[in-house]
Amino acid sequence: MRTPCLTVCVVLGAAGLAAQGNVAARLAGRVPAEVVAAARGIVDSAAARGLPVELLMQKALEGGAKGVPADRVIAAVRTLAGELDASAGALRAAGLAAPDGDAIEAGAFALTAGLQEGQVRELARARRAPFGAAATLRVAAMLAALGVPAKQTVALVRRTVESGRAPTDLLDLPGRVQSEIARGETPAQAAAGLAHAPAAPPAGPPTVPPGRERSRKP
Amino acid sequence: MTWEFHPLVKRVLDGELTLGDLPLELRPEAEEALRMLAALDRTPVTLSPGLDVRVMETVRRRAGSPATARESFRAVRVWRWISAPRDVEIRLRVRPWAVGALAAAAALVLLLLARPNATPRGAPAAPTAASAEGSVLVRFVLFAPRAHRVAIAGTFNQWDREATLLAPAGTTGVWTTTLALAPGQHQYAFVVDGERWVTDPAAPAVDDGFGRRNSVVAVPGARAL
Repeated sequence: MRTPCLTVCVVLGAAGLAAQGNVAARLAGRVPAEVVAAARGIVDSAAARGLPVELLMQKALEGGAKGVPADRVIAAVRTLAGELDASAGALRAAGLAAPDGDAIEAGAFALTAGLQEGQVRELARARRAPFGAAATLRVAAMLAALGVPAKQTVALVRRTVESGRAPTDLLDLPGRVQSEIARGETPAQAAAGLAHAPAAPPAGPPTVPPGRERSRKP
Repeated sequence: MTWEFHPLVKRVLDGELTLGDLPLELRPEAEEALRMLAALDRTPVTLSPGLDVRVMETVRRRAGSPATARESFRAVRVWRWISAPRDVEIRLRVRPWAVGALAAAAALVLLLLARPNATPRGAPAAPTAASAEGSVLVRFVLFAPRAHRVAIAGTFNQWDREATLLAPAGTTGVWTTTLALAPGQHQYAFVVDGERWVTDPAAPAVDDGFGRRNSVVAVPGARAL
């Protein structure tokens, strides 16, 4: 009986060490040793809770690249892990029994951009085919990042999703808001205008935010 | 026309200040600078439809060259040596239950490794991997007239500030690069002269958790749904 138990323990230990080794290999030389050690613990704990861990690794790498002190990098990774947790909780509360990593990351991004946990839950609940929760939350996060107030962001995204418009209408929202901002409107004005505007014309290829102007109020 | 803008004007270009923050006498200069920035062409790059054909023609041409033929012959010999049958005798003394335990353990390892998001993903493809399925070419532009070196670092290149340099467009102070990015959202910042982190004034931004801001680009694609 001792041998099979030993075999399973050895294999499990090896798998755990492999995951830790992956963290260490990616962070080694890029961040201080104490960050590697702390990140291992945070990543392992997040993975055990079924959370995606790539963003945690990226946050540690970002802190190292920016020369941020170790304690602040660890704090930022821990905060992000908390946001991933909150996002997963909000998605589950919205009826997604086992949210995928993409949706959890999108929810965490929305939280980073300024939405509240309850608003993430509300948007996830409002999801409707063909959009998944991830797409809905990503669009909301981009609007919030553009400066649209969180409450207005939620209202605009919900209205677009629930009106059953074409997929491009939802995905184009951030671009359309950005265009209005470039014309001199505030983010709130731009979003308010779109809330009452008809669907976007179908012509034109999808665009990418760096091609547009950001708000610069005189 | 001058490229030596006032330091406060440059902070407006970097997105750190708004026009309203400037003294009145600097606003015309800042407006001129912003006009120049707005005039830049940043539309996504569309590759020529004939590119695939030209690339494949070149590949076929090279495949027929003598050097390639020699390489192929060597490879065939190596393959024959590896694949030739040989007599090997292995004698194992095992208990049947041990084989069962090992098989179960192996299955467990496979299960753990296959769990999505349970372990960190491997290093992502390089940002310039244009062949990656569904990737979109995105052009990044920064106006930094006094910079000697401009790089871009973000979630698409493991935040490596040495990996992706922008090229200067002549002596205009405009720096650009075009990257193939996977659909989804990416955070990034420019690195000027190896030390100054600058957000993209033309993109939305979010708190980076370290007291600064990261720019965000959303790349359209199938994953966006």
